Amino acid sequence: METKMGFYTVSNVENMRICVVMVGLPARGKSFISQKIVRYLSWLSIRAKCFNVGSYRRKAGAAHPSADFFDSSNKEALKVRQKAVTHAIEDMMKWYEEENGVVAILDATNSTRERREWVLRLCRENAIEPMFLESWCDDQDMILRNISDVKTSSPDYEGMDPEAATQDFLRRISNYEKVYEPLDRDNDKDLTFVKLINVAQEVIVNRIQSYLESRVVFYVMNLHIRPRCIWLSRHGESVYNVEKKIGGDSSLSARGFQYASKLPEIVRESAGDVNLTVWTSTLCRTQQTAESLPYKQLQWKALDELDAGVCDGMTYEEIEVKYPDDFKARDDDKYEYRYPGGESYRDVVIRLEPIIMELERQENILIVTHQAVLRCIYAYFMNVPQEESPWMSIPLHTLIKLEPRAYGTEVTRIKADIPAVSTYKEKGTSKLGESSAYATKYRNLLNEPSKSA
Amino acid sequence: MAAVLSDEEELINGLGSEMLMPPTGNHMARTGKRWSGSGSGRVNDLKRPTSDGVHLSVEAEDYISPGQLYSTESGRLFHAGRILIVLVGLPATSKTLLSVAITRYTRWLGVRTKSFHVSEYRRKQGLEVPDDYFSALPATKEGMESRKKIFSTVFDEMLSIFLETKGQLAVYDALNIRRDERKDLEAKFRALNIKVLFIESVMTDNDLVARNIGMAAQSADYKGLTKEKARSAFMRRLLVNKPLYEEISPEENLSYVKYINFGERLIVNNNRYGYLINKIVFFLMNLRDKKGCVYFARCGTSDNDKYIDDEVLNSDGLRYSEILADLVLDRINSRRLSRHGTPNSSANGSTPVPDEMGKKESSLIPTMATLHRTASRGNHKMRQVADWDGADEDSFVVWTAPRKRTYDTAKFFMDKGVVIRQRFQLQQLHPGLVADLTEEQIKEKYPEEYGEYLKDKYHYRFPRAESYHDLAVRMEPLLLEMERMQGDILIIGHESTLKVLYGYLMACTCEELPSLSFPRDELIEISFSPFQNKAERIPIPQD
Repeated sequence: METKMGFYTVSNVENMRICVVMVGLPARGKSFISQKIVRYLSWLSIRAKCFNVGSYRRKAGAAHPSADFFDSSNKEALKVRQKAVTHAIEDMMKWYEEENGVVAILDATNSTRERREWVLRLCRENAIEPMFLESWCDDQDMILRNISDVKTSSPDYEGMDPEAATQDFLRRISNYEKVYEPLDRDNDKDLTFVKLINVAQEVIVNRIQSYLESRVVFYVMNLHIRPRCIWLSRHGESVYNVEKKIGGDSSLSARGFQYASKLPEIVRESAGDVNLTVWTSTLCRTQQTAESLPYKQLQWKALDELDAGVCDGMTYEEIEVKYPDDFKARDDDKYEYRYPGGESYRDVVIRLEPIIMELERQENILIVTHQAVLRCIYAYFMNVPQEESPWMSIPLHTLIKLEPRAYGTEVTRIKADIPAVSTYKEKGTSKLGESSAYATKYRNLLNEPSKSA
Repeated sequence: MAAVLSDEEELINGLGSEMLMPPTGNHMARTGKRWSGSGSGRVNDLKRPTSDGVHLSVEAEDYISPGQLYSTESGRLFHAGRILIVLVGLPATSKTLLSVAITRYTRWLGVRTKSFHVSEYRRKQGLEVPDDYFSALPATKEGMESRKKIFSTVFDEMLSIFLETKGQLAVYDALNIRRDERKDLEAKFRALNIKVLFIESVMTDNDLVARNIGMAAQSADYKGLTKEKARSAFMRRLLVNKPLYEEISPEENLSYVKYINFGERLIVNNNRYGYLINKIVFFLMNLRDKKGCVYFARCGTSDNDKYIDDEVLNSDGLRYSEILADLVLDRINSRRLSRHGTPNSSANGSTPVPDEMGKKESSLIPTMATLHRTASRGNHKMRQVADWDGADEDSFVVWTAPRKRTYDTAKFFMDKGVVIRQRFQLQQLHPGLVADLTEEQIKEKYPEEYGEYLKDKYHYRFPRAESYHDLAVRMEPLLLEMERMQGDILIIGHESTLKVLYGYLMACTCEELPSLSFPRDELIEISFSPFQNKAERIPIPQD
């Protein structure tokens, strides 16, 4: 029988490409939601990128436009605005083709039906599934809070008097309101769309076409845009840390207990009087660390340290001797490497799903957990590439404060000033401690706090 | 009867987590494993090859499900507390299907879920009821009383799931179309610290309604009646309730999901319950009313049949592939004929379907849906690309694993114009150190590992290998994509991946799943009905 063997089938579900088209007036949290989607998908190893039309407009020459610029009767400005969105979409299409993009977010107001139909047509012509995502809000408090966030962090109002910025921004919004056509249950019933009403008080999900879209919607349903902070801390130095052993369920060392008793003061200094909830793992070193904190506490099994399987309770030196192949395999691909009987970083990321979703839903949360788990959570908030995240240095006895803003996350690091051992292991050695010779790009991210990209 | 803990107590006692164990001796190793066994309490029932486990008990103390990420002392997950899901909707709005589907999926995630179907209960007990029992507001005293009796029994059973077992989620399948009934349910369960979420199934699409009525008239309640009589009996039941129906409105101040036209649109309102409920909404976004079947088959043989090399099919394998293609296409065509008939009843199924997406001539009999769709597909710009990928009720797609002999097994389907997709999630279980060893050889070479494996076949991982559990977690996206498929789908994969897919569709336990067997000479056909799924094994002829 004459047959061609080993043929490749052509099309593939995995080639599905999606464009999330944001819709809504200014100050409805569109940029915030866009950034979050990109970070979440990247964290799950799905290629995602946000195309913010505002930044194209700034590049096109309108860096600090006044509200009049956004008046739909301003013909000159319309040209600049059209140029910006065209340029953004061109770059987006290039990104799909050249970088195998999977989910792009087109972050703009897309407030008229005419504009949306134009985007829809471009997507269809390029075999991209458009999903419209509208943030619709009439809760005045929420809008005002957003305005105050935008005027202090948007590049449009850089260096401007905050009161003048607010007034201008309000006028800009009212210019948009004149032409705004929200997504409609009847007129838009054939489109794939999601409409968030007052964030997630009511969510309308229409004609979801693929698993990937449902995944994005699932995530977005958990988001809110109320101001909040997240504090992260490792447990205090443990007996195992001192003995250079990994894993285990040991109690704190004397210095670890010192950190535990100082922690309430450090948290109060950073958080002030706000009410917060403490999440710990089920292992006793995080319990002991959180013991004196005067807040409600929850234990999550999902926050337990990466399970080192047969290596639990060993030192790196012992592992290197007893399991040399494993020791090397882990250094070669630390994200994917799975301890015999234990977990990999990827496994941890999967089990953190409920934590991340719940964390997004909540307001002020303090998480006391472990090195590997914190690396994963931190990578999520700061968009750290997965191959780098397992090599980040997360020092003991340090409180990290994350403040999500529209254009990124602000990080503050507060050292407790209580000495502790280093539990950081460089690639290629079983010795502990940060050696300057091997610093990767992201290793010292926490030692040089800055805004995320 | 165990008292229901308050939310606060539960939170601190580690709902969603394990209780703290005091450190024993000076040993500081981890005591709390991710699993406390592979328990299911259903060990003596390994031989249920074709029955669906979705209604079996999950009350065993050490119950763990295949898709569960970790086990907890309280038996409850995600700090979600206890939840009652109440279905709302007129007869023939797929409430039973939704209840069972939610039960299947949440159970897979490890949630102890049980569904309660008032009509199943009545039928099973063989209860005689007066005519107006079927009205949400019976006119006669007898009707009222029999209704009250049956409903309160089901109600008590639901309560006992929460109060007497570690049950986390109950799904209540009844009409619940009256505002008062809903208010009552909400108040009663809330008083016990049990959260209530309503899922209302609304159908506005006339075709969908007509089809559902047709299905409902085939229910066991109308056995022995002619088609017309059954239909009119059912219509009476529907018409008596229509004027009584009060759609859920925001003023009722309930947490609810409106599920419109079987998932075409969802409206989620006032969802205060967090992760688990959002996860269910996520599931509902992917759920479709399956018209076709899911078929499983192994790939054809290659010369050495080793894991280690990626060989092409040998001549036996090729012959097998050809026979498989004929068998599956025949099977699908004959099911389609018996289900709808066809505008052109030629059993060979040679009716050409208009060329679309570069498809070759199809060997499938077109259904009415095909003709409707083709007619409406004039304007391609209005159609979404994904629609072409197996989501239509008359579509047939073959998924294969990414290895040569697996996708080559689909060759004859491709020649006949069927869409083939390679799915990387179908990559077989990574066997690690024990690749290409027989069980005997493993026992001999790695006695220690083999001993551990026997203790928990589902979770045990040989050195550098994946466990079945690793595989099941990795395959979750594929399970949801399988739920999205309305038409027929054939999955050609390694036995390990077929075990996971079958395990999900037939609600197998961690014990059952590794012992499932899919020999090369059998085609598995899973067919769907609202209350349960059915599996059939069809011999694949050798020549």
